[in-house]
Amino acid sequence: MHPATPPTTDTSVGRHHGTPVPRRRLLRGLLAATVAAPLMFGAAACGDDDGAADPNAPVKLSIFWWGGDARAKLTEDALALYTKKHPNVTFEKTWQANQGYFDKLATLTAGGNPPDLFQIDDNYLAEYAARSTTLDLKSYQDSGKLDVTKFPKSLLEYGVVDGKLAGVAAGENTQGLVYNKTLLTKHNLPEPTTGMTWEQHIAWAAQVSEKTGVPGTQDPSADYKAYWIWLRQQGKDLYKGNELGFAAEDVTAWFDLWKGARDRKATPSADVIHEGNSSDVTKQLVVTGKAGTSWVWANQMPDLKKNTKDELGVVAYPGDPSAQWARASMYWSVFKGSKNKDVAVDVIDFLNNDQEAVKLLGTDRGLPSNLDLRRVVSDDTTDPAMKQSIAVETELAQKFGQSPQVPIKGHSKVKSELVKAAENVQYGRATSAQAAAQFVEACKSAIA
Amino acid sequence: MALTTAPDPTRRGPGSDRAHAARRGPGSIRHSEGLAGYVFLSPWLIGLMGVTAVPMLLSLYLSFTNYDILTPFSEVEWVGFANYERMFTADPSYWHAVRVTLTFALVAVPLKLAAALGVALLLNRAWRGVGLFRGLFYLPSLLGGSVALAIVWVNMFNRDGAFNSLLSLVGITGKPWVNDPDWALQTLMVLAIWQFGAPMVIFLAGLKQVPTELYEAASVDGAGRFRQFRNVTLPMLSPVIFFNLVLETINGFQGFTAAFVLSNGTGGPVDSTLMYTLNLYITGFTDLNMGYASAMAWVFLLAIAVITAIFFSTGRFWVHYSDGEDR
Repeated sequence: MHPATPPTTDTSVGRHHGTPVPRRRLLRGLLAATVAAPLMFGAAACGDDDGAADPNAPVKLSIFWWGGDARAKLTEDALALYTKKHPNVTFEKTWQANQGYFDKLATLTAGGNPPDLFQIDDNYLAEYAARSTTLDLKSYQDSGKLDVTKFPKSLLEYGVVDGKLAGVAAGENTQGLVYNKTLLTKHNLPEPTTGMTWEQHIAWAAQVSEKTGVPGTQDPSADYKAYWIWLRQQGKDLYKGNELGFAAEDVTAWFDLWKGARDRKATPSADVIHEGNSSDVTKQLVVTGKAGTSWVWANQMPDLKKNTKDELGVVAYPGDPSAQWARASMYWSVFKGSKNKDVAVDVIDFLNNDQEAVKLLGTDRGLPSNLDLRRVVSDDTTDPAMKQSIAVETELAQKFGQSPQVPIKGHSKVKSELVKAAENVQYGRATSAQAAAQFVEACKSAIA
Repeated sequence: MALTTAPDPTRRGPGSDRAHAARRGPGSIRHSEGLAGYVFLSPWLIGLMGVTAVPMLLSLYLSFTNYDILTPFSEVEWVGFANYERMFTADPSYWHAVRVTLTFALVAVPLKLAAALGVALLLNRAWRGVGLFRGLFYLPSLLGGSVALAIVWVNMFNRDGAFNSLLSLVGITGKPWVNDPDWALQTLMVLAIWQFGAPMVIFLAGLKQVPTELYEAASVDGAGRFRQFRNVTLPMLSPVIFFNLVLETINGFQGFTAAFVLSNGTGGPVDSTLMYTLNLYITGFTDLNMGYASAMAWVFLLAIAVITAIFFSTGRFWVHYSDGEDR
């Protein structure tokens, strides 16, 4: 089910490596080490008792993330670098595909055995923070042990839930409308641009459908992130405090906008839209050739590119781009009950602020959160898809508005209810107004 | 996933007689034999207690709480019957899932049994190569609830899948079966029916048990093929039919894998494949309402128990056991 890499068993680590150790402790350590290898950990535990925080006590930190092989390789390299610099710290690494990741994380948490350090995203951050599963990192930020001074302010704030710093951005991304460049050039059609209105976008898409025979744009009415941007452009939001930031009329208007697009043949048929809604990034319609655009996160560009021969381009979602914000593509969070909190925080600090580590990780999890290092990485990168996504995101970053609050408890249900409501309209099983009313009802009970 | 243990018809006969005998005369030797029996059973008993019974009881407790997986047990709040109330009064998607599951079971189970019996009758002959066919027909159920099979199914019944290519050969334009809310559940039904191998094998074994002299006697009496089937085969096979019916109904209600794979874990399109167990899973793991999901599981268990009990009580009227006793 979950291709877990075997835990690192780096036993070659000697206790006399690293920073100078007080002589007596060193001697005692050597003595303990020579008595018998299995006693080593016991001896270290003794050291813990009197020293309170022996910085060289062996620590095995469990770390859990989702992602593919490429991410695993990069992350393992970066963690190996940490172990090289802190020989007493080794990692028990577990990773798996996104599907099922949060089931596993929840189950591990329920079993009282969650990883010390784990990757999480804004869909679940508030759920975990509200249950005090995540450690509040504020004190580490204040003491300087966790350096976030180089982060964009809004990116940092997007990790704060109820005044607690629940997660530290492992990277930054933003909404990106990816389009098939090859298709457009072949038919001599203009490329979409950032700042087009929604109506212009739909008109453009209708033109693409007509000229190419490929539906111009995926219908994003089921896509919460597109709906969210659109709401923000109307001065609304997905959530306000612990309530919905929109009313049924807004949803109706949103569904009607896309019903209009379907009537103009700007979007695919309902079943194809559903296919796009329910498949992962590798099978988005822009990649499978079933639509001219897909509504994704900008840092997914390299992943999309891998699955098609066509040239892809990326712009902001339609409307005023200041509705977009520096979103944490994912966070690193520390389990509140972890025995190795300090080390876990130090690893987060390292993964975000160590130049070598950040260069190793590249833009796999999004643009580096540390702005200085982001510049270094973008100067160094050679991968064209990565270059493109950095360029676009950097350009958009200048137009970003304020971050919204992190989605609240019940958000995952709200997301799936939006898909259901939008598809009900697309399949012609409900009018926009009916579906909108049902959706708002369902949302209210989901976040209650 | 096995919420109930299926009744096993092979547990009749000599075994139960002996149990009667043991109960009648509990001598000391018998007693120690009983103890030894329990000792030998202990690995299984410990497993049952640890892996099944304790978690089950725990889930019963959780069904009366607002447990959300992430909160430690010590901080879980007792909410009384709130979860059950919500299920019956305030959750439309729960009742939708019930409807989907009932539709699925009511259509797929009888058709699957009919297919299994039909093919078993065809294969219960001394044809050349009949063994090969038995193997071939059994093959789909070997692949059983496998994820790979469900993925193949999705790709076969896509808009541009193999099935539509076949249809287009005869000039029919297909539908996007798995992505059409009017057809997705039917696609799952066909998948379930196609996997009729397991009941088929049991039917075959049952057919072999029917004494040939009954057919001979029937044909002497002038009964045709159909009369023989109705008046000999069906009554003689009724215990096996009963067994398959109970088992397949329970299986049908518990269908999960195919729906999960087909809908990418969402029950879509538009909840058309939102089976009971899938809804339960989403409630527990995606929406983190594990207390509520536990309540759903217990209602489900009770519902299946009631349905099974109904089968057993009607069984008296149509299940014929050839040892002459009316059970």
